[in-house]
Order: sequence, then structure tokens, then C-alpha cells
Amino acid sequence: MRHRKMLAPLTAAFAAATLALTACGPGPAEKAQSGGEVKLQMVESLTNPTRTALLKKLIADFEKANSGIKVQLISPPTNQADQKIQQMLQSGKGVDVLEVRDTTVGPFSTNKWIYDMAPDLKDWDGLQALTPNALAVTQQGGKSYMVPYGFYGLSLFYRKDLVQQAGFTGPPKSWPELVEQAKKINDPAKNKYGYSFRGGLGGAGNAIAVISGYVIDDINKDNAFKLTNGKTIFSSPKAVDALNLYVDLFKNASPPSSVSWGYPEMVQGFTSGTTGFLLQDPEVIATVRESKTIKEDQWGTAPLPVGPTGKAAQPLANAGWGVAEGSEHKAEAVKLVKFLTSGDAAMTFSKENSLVPILKSAAEDPFFKDGPWASYVAMNASPETYVVVTQPRGVPWSTEWGNKSDADVQKLITGKAQPAEILKSWDEYWTKKWAGN
Amino acid sequence: MAVTETRPAASSRRTAGSRPPAGRRRRFSGRTALVLLAFMMPAIVFVGLFTYYPLLNGIQMAFRNYNLNDLSDTSWVGLQNFRTLLGDEMFRGTVKNSVVWVVGSLVPQFLIGFTMALWLRRKFRFRGAYQALVFFPWAVSGFLIGILFRWMFNGEFGVVNDLLMKAHLIDTPVPWLADARYAMVAVISANVWYGVTFFAIMILAALQSVPDELYEASAIDGAGKVRTLFSITIPSIRTTLALTVLLRVIWTFNSPELIFGMTGGGPANETHIVTSYMIQVTQEGDYGRASAMGVMVVFVLLLFAIFYLLAVRTRTPRRKAVAR
Repeated sequence: MRHRKMLAPLTAAFAAATLALTACGPGPAEKAQSGGEVKLQMVESLTNPTRTALLKKLIADFEKANSGIKVQLISPPTNQADQKIQQMLQSGKGVDVLEVRDTTVGPFSTNKWIYDMAPDLKDWDGLQALTPNALAVTQQGGKSYMVPYGFYGLSLFYRKDLVQQAGFTGPPKSWPELVEQAKKINDPAKNKYGYSFRGGLGGAGNAIAVISGYVIDDINKDNAFKLTNGKTIFSSPKAVDALNLYVDLFKNASPPSSVSWGYPEMVQGFTSGTTGFLLQDPEVIATVRESKTIKEDQWGTAPLPVGPTGKAAQPLANAGWGVAEGSEHKAEAVKLVKFLTSGDAAMTFSKENSLVPILKSAAEDPFFKDGPWASYVAMNASPETYVVVTQPRGVPWSTEWGNKSDADVQKLITGKAQPAEILKSWDEYWTKKWAGN
Repeated sequence: MAVTETRPAASSRRTAGSRPPAGRRRRFSGRTALVLLAFMMPAIVFVGLFTYYPLLNGIQMAFRNYNLNDLSDTSWVGLQNFRTLLGDEMFRGTVKNSVVWVVGSLVPQFLIGFTMALWLRRKFRFRGAYQALVFFPWAVSGFLIGILFRWMFNGEFGVVNDLLMKAHLIDTPVPWLADARYAMVAVISANVWYGVTFFAIMILAALQSVPDELYEASAIDGAGKVRTLFSITIPSIRTTLALTVLLRVIWTFNSPELIFGMTGGGPANETHIVTSYMIQVTQEGDYGRASAMGVMVVFVLLLFAIFYLLAVRTRTPRRKAVAR
């Protein structure tokens, strides 16, 4: 009797405990239906409501121009999107067109989940309209797993008024100048800080931007984590100098709580008027413009700070559209990818999402030539100073690296590890990975 | 003074013949059994497909080299994933954090929840509205609560620091989520706020089933409030208390969403618990290692459940005195 009494709670306990495991199983895939006309399933990754609305509008234009093709857009929440896409691709069904990021193209292509569009794009006139950077991404390694829709590049957002009040005539050009100006602006007693430091999610990206600026003369442009001598950039003694400067920037010019700041907090720090500098992508331009605290004439953007030799590495992150290997309608899917990455659709998408454009014609567009975009144009105009490099973001271990390196940056700035220790572990990590271990 | 124990004898209220004698199972055969099975089938299929199939799939993945980043070799690796975990310093840290997280959350949740339930049992004006307000947090997603508390505990813009400074309890802002010493306190505080409601709901429901006659009898016998609490209230709802604590231990152990929303396991992985680390490993694509963690969690929680239930099991009530 006693045993039977215990059976029910034990069963319930077991069921509750097993929920921990069920999270690991793959989810069911959704299946596209086709009834007379071709129905494409499209799934996006970097979802936000404004962008989804814009995508729907562009899709409607595509459907109007291509009768007989209908597109159903799936928009999972951003933080689960890539996992959801992965599950859909793994099941081999339910997706035709998908958003591919430079961080996912590696694992997706390794597992043969995405289709090589190279033969379909061979005679496409849209290729001629792409900027050299966009073309390079489209034809990376001789394969075309994606066509990018835009680039995310770093520039320095700065408070014109605070820089002036601190006694400087203009924004900093180099990393040491940035530290100097940020320290002058820093005044914790007034809740005013020099720099919007990114110590939380994605924090390692900015640390690596500084390191890259310091080792730029020896960097391998095609694999920006490598030097031309084949070793990692983290093995260079200049990398230690870079991280020492970065720690100084945190300790003496940034809010103490920025150890945990991710994207929203660092942007909020700048738009709320708390910080003087912010290193961010152009998509933040729209957010800063909406700020009620800082006015249009109080802020501007400057090119990415350069290293000791007067150069900076511009790691252009990118994302684009690709086609699933399991798609039964590849021809129509490729048609949609071509539509979204050419002509008015591509230009509209860049402008409304604040992306560095993929089309050559954008250089003549007043939208990109003036205002906060001017720094991006200036960087594009000086490729020998702002060297475009490709970081190994598409490797299968990119998420693992992201988690490790972000945690390491937190250890660094909280004094739990020294720059040399962190760099040694990063050097060993990448050397092992490249050796196939 | 001895308080007379007068547990209501539930079985005495039943009429003879309304239930088969204890120890005998009712058997169905033929058409009736088939009809019953047909009615149960949707539930069996649903639970089998969405709970036990992923569970079994997860268990077999724990013994394989199952990495989503490279599925070209998913061979069996025996206990390799478990060995890797046991040698992983971070995993050992998450085990310690999980204990702090569960105990630190559970004790205040239980005490506050119990007190609230006792208070809400009393009749007062607008009690219904107040109960609804108290139970509200339980209806909100844990991840959303995590994000809200992340902003509340923000060192520069957060309301927590603002209030503490206005109350002159601190002079300078505390970097709650940036310092490992405070970050765990912050996430546990949020979890206490979130989980108090569960105890309040469950304990209140149990309290409402305790007959008023018991309290009246104890009052006649001259029992004070403390004596009534320990001799009437707690023994009467003992089973509910034991089960709610058990369930809450399991849920708290298995709920990383608040930590994910608030700290993402940081700073420097200091607030990761086993299950939030498991999600991180899943995101990295290593389903084999993540499943091994899941298997360990199930095993440990099952052991805990067995020992806990053995320790608090309800003994057949022995009546000291029965007034008939």
C-alpha cells in the first residue's frame, strides 16, 4: 500500500525531471504544401517586427512579378531562430529559402543542408551589380551557398558636445586617443562614463577588433585570426598591448556594471546620454536618431579607431539568403534569392535595416553619402587604412568560441585572468581547431 | 496539555460498495477494455510522441558523438561524454551553483509562500482581488521575468540601485550583474519573487481543505497560535508540503530561463547552473554532451525524489483518541 502511495508522486517526479532531456530532441518539421502553384517556405533568422513587415512587402512584390509562386514567411524569435532553422534543415523538409549568416554558413554547408547556387548564378547579371565585398562572399571558396543582403561594419558613435567639453577638437582617430578622450569624459559621480563597454554577450568581438588593429600589418586578410606567418593573431606580442589598453578602457573609462552589458545595454548607455562613445554597427543609427535624450546635433559617427601603425581591420560581418538542399522547388527558391539581392529590393532592404549596402550603385545615393553614414563611406574610400578582413565566423565551432571568448573577456576585465593568459588560451584553442582537434 | 488528534477518517464517509475492496484491482475485458483504450489512446500517443520519444532519443545521444556541427560521424562513444563532463571544471562549478541556486531559492520561497498562504486564508475585504494579484507572477514567462529583472538590477539605469540610493542604504551604485558575488544574489532574488506564488497557491489550497472544526477543537483545548500551527495546520497539510517542496526542487533545478534572461550565466560563467550550461552546450551543437548532462540530471533528481519521499513518507495515521 505504501509503495503504491509513493508510485504516483515518483512517476510525477520522474516525468518532471525528464523534461530536462526532452529539450534535446529535434522538433517536428513543417511541411510546405503545394496545390497547383509553387509554395515556398522562407525562414528568417535576425527577426524583428519592422524587418519582418518589410520582408513581407518585398515578398508581395516578388509574388506580383512571379505569378504561380507563393511565399510563406516564418519568423521565429531571434534568439531561437538559428536553432529552429537547424532543426528544419536537419529534417530535410519544410524550408526552401532561408537566412544564412556568416556564423551559420559553415555548419550548414558542412552538413550539406544548403544548396550550392553557383551554377544558377553563373549567368546572372545581378553579380555585376554587387560590390567587390558582396561578390567575394557570394563566391567564397568557389561555392555560392548564400547571396548577402548587407554587411554589418563597426564605426565609432561619439558625443560631439562631450568631446568638445573635454577639450578635444574632434573624435579620436586611434585606440590610444579613444582611451584618452574617454577617460577625460568619465565622471562616475555624475553617472557619466566615457565608453559604452561591451562586457556581456558578444563582448569578445570588440576585444578582437582592438587586437586586429594592433596586428594589422601582419594579418592574413582572408582569415583574420591568422597572421601571415600562419600563427594565430593571439600569439603576437602586440596582442598583449592591445588587451592591456582594452582593460584600461574598461577600468578607467567605462561603467563598472558594463561587465554584463550586451547589445541593448551598451546602446541604451549611449542613447540615454550616460556614455560618450559607442562602437557599433550602422543599424544603431536609427535607434540613436529616436533618442529623446540626445539631439541630432549632439552626436556623430567616426571611422573605426586605428592601431599604432595607423590602420584598422574592418571585419565585415554579413548575412544573406540561401536555398535548402532539401527544397523541392530550387529553381523558384533561387529566383526569390536573386530578387531580394538585386535592384530596388536590395537597396530598400539595406536602407530600411541600416546595413552597409551590397550594390555598387549605393555609393551615389545621397542616403549613404551624408550624415552618420559618411564614416562608412569614408572607410570604404580608404581601403588601405581600413583594411577589410574576413574573420573565421563560419566555422562549425563559432558558437562554442563565442561562449568561451565572451566568458574570457569577463574574466579579463574583472581581474580573474591576465591578458597573456587569455591570449595563450585563445592561441591554443584556434591552433588546435585548425589542426582538426 | 495534549491536543487530541482527530484526523477526519475519509474512508468512513464512503458508503460500502461504492469502491472495490482495497487491494483488488478492477479488471476490464473485451469490448469495454477496447473502448477504454480507444479513449486513452490520444493521451498515450501524445505523451509517447512528445515526451518519451525525445527522452529516449536524448538518452541514446548521450552515448554517441552527436555534434550538430558535424554529423558525418555519430558513432557510439560509450561513457566518453560523461567522462568529459566529469573532467570539466566548469561543469563541476555549475553543480555547486545548482545547489546554491536550489537551496537559496527554495527556502525563502517556502517560508514566504507559507506565510502568505496562512495570511490569505483569513477572511478580509477584497481577499479575492488580493489573491489574484499575489498569484499573477506565476502566469508570466520566466524568460520575460529574467529580462525585466536584468534591467531592474542594471548598475546604471536599474530601479534597484535607484531605490537603495534614495533610501540611503548605498552611496554608489552596486554592479549587481557584473560582480560574481552579487550576481547570484540577484538571480536568486528574482527567482524567490517568481516562485513564492507557487507555494502560496498550493499551500492555500491545502489549508482550505483543513476542517474548521479542528481549529475550533484546538481552541477549546486552549492551544495557542504556535501550537495550532505545529499540531494542527502542518500535520494536516503535510503531504502537500512534501510534494510541493519536491516538485519545486525539481522545477528550480530544471529552470534555467531566468538565469539565461538575467545574466546569460555570467559574469565569467559564475551564475551558470547545470541546466543553463546544458542549454549553452546545446546551442554549441554538442547534443551528445548536452544529453549526457540531461541523463545525469534525471538520475540525480530521481535519486533525490526517492530518498526524499522515503524520508517524508506518510505513515498510516495511528489514532491516539477517536471521539465517535
